[in-house]
Amino acid sequence: MRFDPWMLLDYWELLLQGTWLTIRITVMALVLGYLLGIGVALLGMARSRTLRAIAGTYVEVLRNIPFIIILFLVYYGLPFSGVRMPALFAGTLALSLFVSAYYSEIVRAAILALPRGQFESARAIGMSPAQAMWNVVAPQVLRTIIPPSTNMTLTMMKESAVLSSITVPELTYQGLVIQGNTFAPFEVFAAITLIYWMIAIVIAETSRRLEARVGLAQRQSVTRNPIADRYLSLERRPAR
Amino acid sequence: MKFNFEYLLSVMPRLIDASLVNIRLALIIMALSVLLGTGLTILRAAKLPVVNEVIAVVISFVRGTPLLIQIFIAYYVLPSVGLDMRPEVAGVAAIAFNSMIFVSETLRGGLATIDPGQIEASTALGLPPRAIWYKVVLPQLFRRVIPVLINEATIVVKGTALLSVITVVEVLRTAQQISAASYRPFETLLGAALIFLVMNLVISLVGKFAEARYAVSRA
Amino acid sequence: MTATLALKVEGLTKQFRGTTALDSVYLEIQPGEIVALIGPSGCGKSTFLRCLTWLEQPDDGFIEVAGQPFGRERIGAVVRRQSGREIDRIRPRIGLVFQQLNLWPHLTALENIVRPQIVVLKRPREEATRRARDLLARLGLADRAERYPHSLSGGQKQRVAIARALAMDPALMLFDEPTSALDPELVGEVLAVLRQLAEAGTTMLVVTHEIGFAANVADRIAFMDHGRIVEEGPARQLIDAPRDPRLKGFLDLVLSHRDGPAPPLA
Repeated sequence: MRFDPWMLLDYWELLLQGTWLTIRITVMALVLGYLLGIGVALLGMARSRTLRAIAGTYVEVLRNIPFIIILFLVYYGLPFSGVRMPALFAGTLALSLFVSAYYSEIVRAAILALPRGQFESARAIGMSPAQAMWNVVAPQVLRTIIPPSTNMTLTMMKESAVLSSITVPELTYQGLVIQGNTFAPFEVFAAITLIYWMIAIVIAETSRRLEARVGLAQRQSVTRNPIADRYLSLERRPAR
Repeated sequence: MKFNFEYLLSVMPRLIDASLVNIRLALIIMALSVLLGTGLTILRAAKLPVVNEVIAVVISFVRGTPLLIQIFIAYYVLPSVGLDMRPEVAGVAAIAFNSMIFVSETLRGGLATIDPGQIEASTALGLPPRAIWYKVVLPQLFRRVIPVLINEATIVVKGTALLSVITVVEVLRTAQQISAASYRPFETLLGAALIFLVMNLVISLVGKFAEARYAVSRA
Repeated sequence: MTATLALKVEGLTKQFRGTTALDSVYLEIQPGEIVALIGPSGCGKSTFLRCLTWLEQPDDGFIEVAGQPFGRERIGAVVRRQSGREIDRIRPRIGLVFQQLNLWPHLTALENIVRPQIVVLKRPREEATRRARDLLARLGLADRAERYPHSLSGGQKQRVAIARALAMDPALMLFDEPTSALDPELVGEVLAVLRQLAEAGTTMLVVTHEIGFAANVADRIAFMDHGRIVEEGPARQLIDAPRDPRLKGFLDLVLSHRDGPAPPLA
């Protein structure tokens, strides 16, 4: 077997298109998924027991079904009920639904973790519930949700590869097309992998900067006895 | 076409049969990933030069790329380097490799919560490293990470649905075969979704019991 | 007396699942007056403050702040519950300093004081900032304005919380156990600030178990037990000559638990 990455140059356009579409789908699902997620989170904290049960069921169902089945249900299932939609639209919608279940749990946990007094002190001074949410709760929640939301967004971005199975021409789909033309799986998948990896790094880096801007990136370092460190740490100590 | 509940019921037996494939594969994958993930963690704890750097790159690769691509690599690439594998084996290898990395990362997180005093005491008592791992560190570690491992198990179960794309005849593939013949995709897919829902809810439930039991024995 | 009362509470009642937390509480506070509310823990003091600010909805009774009905109003023979918006409009007239302070950690000390003025009172930022800096200076925190709460000491945080409430120009300040969340050595500092406010003529209702403060600074003491105000009167008189046996028992208990001799009540 010979390794010839240069032949991929003939297909650079397809790779670029696929990459761009994957990025667009990820951003769309991030926005749509978060809007849905915030809605479901607020529903999950409603006074009405029925509303809470609806939110809970939404989350449990979406989290326990493989994404590929959610995708097929939206793509093949909804047309069946009369709604016909293009693959890209169905794919983005399915991805948004999928990720919204996780985002909603992140948002809900962050709000519940905030001491009650924060909201109450804003209310007691005369802010309306919406003003208290906007001025006091939201900025603090934003800080705590960034790291878990980043992880979830990375997962979702990777999950978008499954959209290839309903012919959305994103990165994985283009990879499979090139692979079908060239029969060079090693080169193709190496390239695709590298691109996904780079997108992941960009997302992680963006999130890191965002976190630094929102303030609060203090991590306490644990100093341990070197003997215990032999077992409890996987990093080599930095040379001093 | 209207939703046909009778039809949904009629496809369930075949889908349930097929779910045995998912269960079998998920069990094999979990066993492999916990075993290999533990081994990998101990290896990383040895802090060998170069080895850890290489592992770090592999981890970053696995975490940064889609599971589907990893499955494709096992399916398309490995045969071309001489490892001819059945789709099932390639799929198990890919998901187990992926899961192994996540197990090791979970264990790494758990290690940070173990009281270092015990290790110092064990070392002072002259326990060999093997005993410290097997008798002191790992038992506590596994108790602590059980909830995360249970969660990983549900991810693995969901992952087995992806094997349908490399022609493994499991629940989703079976559902697709049925609906290709009957043109009723919605009911069959819903049936498949229900099966995964039930499998994962059962796992979560078992996990809750296990957690409660360990919580009691810890107290 | 014709002056409008700073606070007038009539028959305030609150029940939680059958247990009566507040049992028809009556209380009047004159402008400039300082009233200490004392009583054993669980007597309903905290519920009283929460109902006064409508953080908890009282089941019955009326509150008037500087002559304005708050929460419920009587129109002829009809009782009307005010809307959330109406309640929000009156809330800044009562400055509540929480036991846990509840400063907003994502805002600087200055912004903690400025933000509610802008959001609630619609003051222009310059005016709100001027007012905030003024108050910080008065409370000896001029150089701490740009600090975030986590880098302030307990006593400094408390003064920021006080300034935050004062900036809203309240008719009345409420303090929930202002000394209990602090280290013992800071208690003196807080009491000094409360004295300073008292000298400036601030109307205050202070829930406290600092009998020393109650006796020295407060004009009047109200003793609460089992959700009722059992006895109230001029501070000195209430402590020197308690009439109610429960108050007597409470005072004995509190004074005997103090370290060293009780401060002179001169």
